[in-house]
Amino acid sequence: MEVMCDHIGDVTVVVLEGAQLDASSTGEFKRDIMPVLEKQAQVIFDLSQLGFIDSSGLGAFLSCLRHLQARGGDLKLCNMSKPVRALFELVRMHRIFHIFETQEEAVRAFRQQ
Amino acid sequence: MHSGNSEKTSREIPAKNDISQTLSIAAFQDSVRRQVRYALGKEWRNLSGYDLFTAVALAVRELLVDRMLETEARYQQVNAKRLYYLSIEFLMGRSLGNNLDNLGLFDLCKQALHEMGVNLADLEEHERDAALGNGGLGRLAACFLDSLATLGMPGYGYGIHYEYGLFKQEIRNGYQAEKPDNWLVYGTPWEIERADEACLIPVYGRIEHTLDRGGQYNPMWMDWKILVGVPHDLPIVGYGGRTVNYLRLYSARSSADFDMQIFNTGDYIKAVEQKIASETITKVLYPSDTVMAGQELRLVQEYFLVACAVRDIIKRYTQTHATFEAFSSQVAMQLNDTHPAVAVAELMRVLLDENDLPWEQAWKITQETFGYTNHTLLPEALEKWPVSLFEYVLPRHLQIIREINHRFLAHTATAWPDDDERLRRVSIVTEGAHPQVRMGHLAIIGSHSVNGVSALHTELVQSTLIPDFFHLWPERFNNKTNGITQRRWLRQANPSLARLLSQTIGDEWITNLDALKALEPFAQDRDSQQEFLRIKYANKERLAAVIKELTRVTVDPESLFDVQVKRIHEYKRQLLNVLHIIHEYLCVTEDHREPLVARTYIFAGKAAPGYWAAKQLVKLINNVGRVINADPRVRGRIKVVFIPDYRVSLAERIIPAADLSEQISTAGKEASGTGNMKFALNGALTIGTLDGANIEIMEEVGEENIFIFGLRAQDIQQMRSQGSYQPREYYARHPALKRVMDALSSDLFCREEPELFKWIYHALVEQGDEYFHLADLSSYLDVQERVGAEFTNPIGWARKAILNVARIGKFSSDRTVQEYAKDIWRIESIL
Repeated sequence: MEVMCDHIGDVTVVVLEGAQLDASSTGEFKRDIMPVLEKQAQVIFDLSQLGFIDSSGLGAFLSCLRHLQARGGDLKLCNMSKPVRALFELVRMHRIFHIFETQEEAVRAFRQQ
Repeated sequence: MHSGNSEKTSREIPAKNDISQTLSIAAFQDSVRRQVRYALGKEWRNLSGYDLFTAVALAVRELLVDRMLETEARYQQVNAKRLYYLSIEFLMGRSLGNNLDNLGLFDLCKQALHEMGVNLADLEEHERDAALGNGGLGRLAACFLDSLATLGMPGYGYGIHYEYGLFKQEIRNGYQAEKPDNWLVYGTPWEIERADEACLIPVYGRIEHTLDRGGQYNPMWMDWKILVGVPHDLPIVGYGGRTVNYLRLYSARSSADFDMQIFNTGDYIKAVEQKIASETITKVLYPSDTVMAGQELRLVQEYFLVACAVRDIIKRYTQTHATFEAFSSQVAMQLNDTHPAVAVAELMRVLLDENDLPWEQAWKITQETFGYTNHTLLPEALEKWPVSLFEYVLPRHLQIIREINHRFLAHTATAWPDDDERLRRVSIVTEGAHPQVRMGHLAIIGSHSVNGVSALHTELVQSTLIPDFFHLWPERFNNKTNGITQRRWLRQANPSLARLLSQTIGDEWITNLDALKALEPFAQDRDSQQEFLRIKYANKERLAAVIKELTRVTVDPESLFDVQVKRIHEYKRQLLNVLHIIHEYLCVTEDHREPLVARTYIFAGKAAPGYWAAKQLVKLINNVGRVINADPRVRGRIKVVFIPDYRVSLAERIIPAADLSEQISTAGKEASGTGNMKFALNGALTIGTLDGANIEIMEEVGEENIFIFGLRAQDIQQMRSQGSYQPREYYARHPALKRVMDALSSDLFCREEPELFKWIYHALVEQGDEYFHLADLSSYLDVQERVGAEFTNPIGWARKAILNVARIGKFSSDRTVQEYAKDIWRIESIL
């Protein structure tokens, strides 16, 4: 699981490059994403390439959100596939995260805050 | 495989919408040859018997699939409400003969194969029973599927694709030995695996208590493990072939992709272990009567079934509906006993968590969707799970169940203010140091309908099992007396009798069993009686050959075939039957008095592997048989056989050959029974207690055409509550009883293992006789005497037997399913 960062103004868009985020890749993901979260406050995860996420991956997302919120920032998600969305709903995490259809909508939401 | 002596005669009764009118023999033969070459990849000359069975089954499956797709289109066209029958067991048996019969292709197939040098009857023997059930509950589910399809109703079974069915029973030195039933060792040609419809099922984990973006409490289910549920569809064809529904069975798989992730990290062993652990979930069917409490795997199994089912059902519903407003008008789910009761919590979870419905709306939908069938009055069969285990396996579901319970108790407290004891009795979660989740209570509270399976059973459910719930919601309670499908249990199992019926009164009975009433006048007709007796004799000859093959015991088809085949359980009282046999034996050896008629006592049935007393009874029957069958003083007037490995296909051989059907459970213990109906339908007379559906059978066939004995349920209830039953008094007062019990206490039947059966004497005479054997024995012996006397008059016997057949119409599962459809499911025939 690699993370690719792009910056749109103050907003950092992180594209998760990998089809799965599970127990075998969560550690690597956390290691790669933490430096990004240390520097940025407004972050979007673009999940367009993610086909599956397990409970450890969901736990990692939750850690990212809490890390940012503790520092006054926020994490928004976009381009979520149907199976990934179903897993968010399964654990009720869709009530915690702001989830958007597109990257543009997510960026716009940050700007409107 | 070449033509041999076909045991089965042809089915000359045409099926409705006969496909044989559009399918030629040559086309069917081409299809079989194509399967041999392209599905099996073999040359005709190299085929084994199983290969041939597979090729024929695949050819038949093509016809089923065409009609299954047509059926689905028909349902979709009218946006039909669908019924989903959730059951941990489906005892399907073999399918080839049944599918051919219902498609109207039996004779065409038989002829086509004959021309190819293949005997269809031989071929059928190569099919392994799908033994995905223990007994009545699972077989009822299978009969319901047949009736739903025959009635053209959108009804589907949802169950588990067990890799191992109910164990195979062997008898070694008289003892039951269990062997695994790997029924899928060569696969099954009937099922269609739907890997593309696999679903992900979370299990285990913990709850993380958080607030959502709006500041509301938001419990999150974290750290779960994932199971993959893969559906396998078995087409279920109704009579006439117009409707083909399916039974959807889920197997647990570990996804190769997920395993590969672990594999890629280099931990191959862990990857394999995870795969094995996931697949264990659907490995084996639990034998009944084992203590379920605390068995984590069983709870996971039950949850896995309902989670797969609910996910699938919601997926189908949301394909055509944007909201859940219409859910309960489109979907009905029936809980076949408490095993799938966690479905109540699962549907709530899906509606609340995944679809954001408010609690009240989700609860209304859930209650309107579910119906619950209670199948037993035995308290040990009403499942309870330790809260600690439940929380470990299903933490979010436990939260939801606690909330259901909290709201239920708050509501109930208004109905029964200041009655804490009653609230404790109805609570889903028990109190105390080791609290438990009562699955029966969850099912009752979460359903709009609660039904028993015979009139007596429903009455006892209401009055003794769960009276508090009945007082609270009398309108929810109703009776649906069980039934059986006449297509399998008469038309297929007893083709000669089926042909006689159709020749005599027409073939309406195949889809309307009440039409058998027209047979009544023929009960007096000498030719019909003779023909009936001739058919019975032929069936007995056929069974005698099976007995010889499986037990090496030679039995005389002229003798009275006295049959008790069912699970071995103390309440079913195989022991009472044995006590009578011992009495008869002692009459010969000590009183020098031969029985009025020669009798062959036929037993079959499996004992749960962990049920010591039941396994002892198997040994007892075999030992008693060994002693009596070898005793020259008996001169063959009494024979006792235990046919091993009772299953559906064996039942189809045994039941048509029975003269006397033993339905002798302790009154108040058998919920309904369905074996009693199968025997009567095949012209056996019943000897039975006033228990379960026996009572209704008596009402239908007439008291003069059934042999009733023993205490009634209310007598036993009263004796229990007053503590007035003193078995020792019966022992002391009745010399015949005393002699039988003393014989059991001696080593007469266990010379090689002294004192083996002494425990029976203690259990009955000294330890209270839980199942009232001694209380009923005198009455049983008297009525058995009458049975013997009446059997000496074959014409009189035949008249009664024919009247049993003529008056058994009520007990078709078509009637039962129509009642469920009208009163509970609100589904209709879509033809």
